[in-house]
Amino acid sequence: MKKINDLENLAKKYRRDLFEKLLIIKQGHPGSIFSMMEIVVALYHGGFVNYDSKKNLFLDKVLISKGHATAALYPILRDFGILPKKEWDNWGHKNSLLRVFGNISIPGIDVTSGSLGHCIGVGAGMAISFKKSGQNKKVFVIISEGELYEGSTWEALLFAKHYKLDNLNIIIDINSLIILGSTKDCLNLDPIKEKILSLGINTLEVEGHNMGDLISTFEKTKKIGKLNCILAKTVKGKGSSIMENKKDWHYWNAMSDEEIEKTRKELT
Amino acid sequence: MLQRDAFIEEITKYLEKDKSIFFLSADFGAKALDELRQRFPNNFLHCGISEQAMLDIAAGLALEDNKVFVYGMAPFLALRSLEQTKCGAGLMNLPICLLSVGIGLGYADAGPTHYTTEDFACFRSIVGSSIYTPADSLSTKLIAKELLEKPKFSYIRLDRDVLPNISPEITNADLNRGFKVFGNINNNKIALISHGRMLHKCLEIYKNKLNKFVCVDILRSKPFPKDLPKKISSCKGIVVVDEQSPSGNLSSCVFEGFSEQSYFPKIISKSLPESYVFENGGREYLLNKFGLSNDDIIKACNKIV
Repeated sequence: MKKINDLENLAKKYRRDLFEKLLIIKQGHPGSIFSMMEIVVALYHGGFVNYDSKKNLFLDKVLISKGHATAALYPILRDFGILPKKEWDNWGHKNSLLRVFGNISIPGIDVTSGSLGHCIGVGAGMAISFKKSGQNKKVFVIISEGELYEGSTWEALLFAKHYKLDNLNIIIDINSLIILGSTKDCLNLDPIKEKILSLGINTLEVEGHNMGDLISTFEKTKKIGKLNCILAKTVKGKGSSIMENKKDWHYWNAMSDEEIEKTRKELT
Repeated sequence: MLQRDAFIEEITKYLEKDKSIFFLSADFGAKALDELRQRFPNNFLHCGISEQAMLDIAAGLALEDNKVFVYGMAPFLALRSLEQTKCGAGLMNLPICLLSVGIGLGYADAGPTHYTTEDFACFRSIVGSSIYTPADSLSTKLIAKELLEKPKFSYIRLDRDVLPNISPEITNADLNRGFKVFGNINNNKIALISHGRMLHKCLEIYKNKLNKFVCVDILRSKPFPKDLPKKISSCKGIVVVDEQSPSGNLSSCVFEGFSEQSYFPKIISKSLPESYVFENGGREYLLNKFGLSNDDIIKACNKIV
């Protein structure tokens, strides 16, 4: 596993890489991508997603239920050599394979997502298939807190708990913002932890931008070996003072040259 | 035999040799399901009364190369989880088979929450879906065998009640073709087209006046049987009978199927009206009251000069 400092630098580098791409394509969801950057770096580069270097593929599954932020995986998959570099370079051109929302035609993307509230169910289906067929594989599902508004999320949590899916790991990216404002003001979701705990699901909290905290939390869940749900406190648009905690940066916005330079400096 | 039992019995037979089959239920049962659950508990998943999650779970199972059958009451399986069906089975082209029981007014007199008079229109709009509406348990078994051998994204519309067996019975050739014609076609005859339970009404009318009608069972309505328009285009006219609401029902398929033909016979749609059915009285009473009695169908035929 890479050192914590290296992982932190990778997260910064990926934010910068993605910012440059979003500048070109002039669309996408920077706020949501940046809020989960450390989480996915910790999972992939921290060695929690089992990688077969001989076959050059990940054995475990990672489902980005908040499909608008799937692009966070692209630079990671590029660096592992799963996503061809030419595809990364090609992003922004008409014939590009990469999309704002991920889909299974993209190498390394395990689910087509975009509509919210689907992937705990999909992950539960995969997890139960692995268990019944005796495959020692894990499933990681990253959802946004906004997906807690979807009934299907809770239906799938009940299912996962009932079938004791100890190979299913759910991470909730809690950046406290949805499109129209804070979750607290729009329609309060709190207390999230108590609600999930009340289902009998092992629930942990983590600082979602603290790499050391993320690594030790993932280590902990690995040891516990139970269905678990990690509540990751994050900042929407993390890394850019222009975007941080701004609901409007759920979507891409036009930027002045000054703002672009400022963001580049902050992301370096 | 109930169609659901016929289908599930086939799945149970296949489970003896194929453990990649998963059967998911949203708390909906059948006599044959009791046996499946008892003999193959590892291949049965109770998903709770949670159709949406059930379709997502099905997608996850199918992404791992399992053969997945999801089972539920038609009004809820079809409509409540339609978006999950689109995003899973549709968008990812997954071989998930939905077994939907109680189409049309099958749950009379439960009222409109339990009637499924729009599932056909909804499902035919989902890209990549195949739709089957068998009219008896024998054709249901044929469909089951085909989908167990070659799984694909499919929506199977089953009746709540036992339907009498069709004679002569549906063959594999009919299934491959997607339809079966009863009677000899000529330009003096009217083609009565239907599927499922309503086919039996059409067969009854046809058998009473063999010189006036032919009857067509469209057991696979999507993909629409490409040979059908040519086959029946010489008929004097067509009446399509469906226990669905007026928009997007079987008659829409027929209209669309004929749209590429140079000759276009008169086509009349006989369906339920544009209203919800709250009355009591049983399914047959409701069909008669809402325009789908044998007399109503014959009256529609008489409009074809």
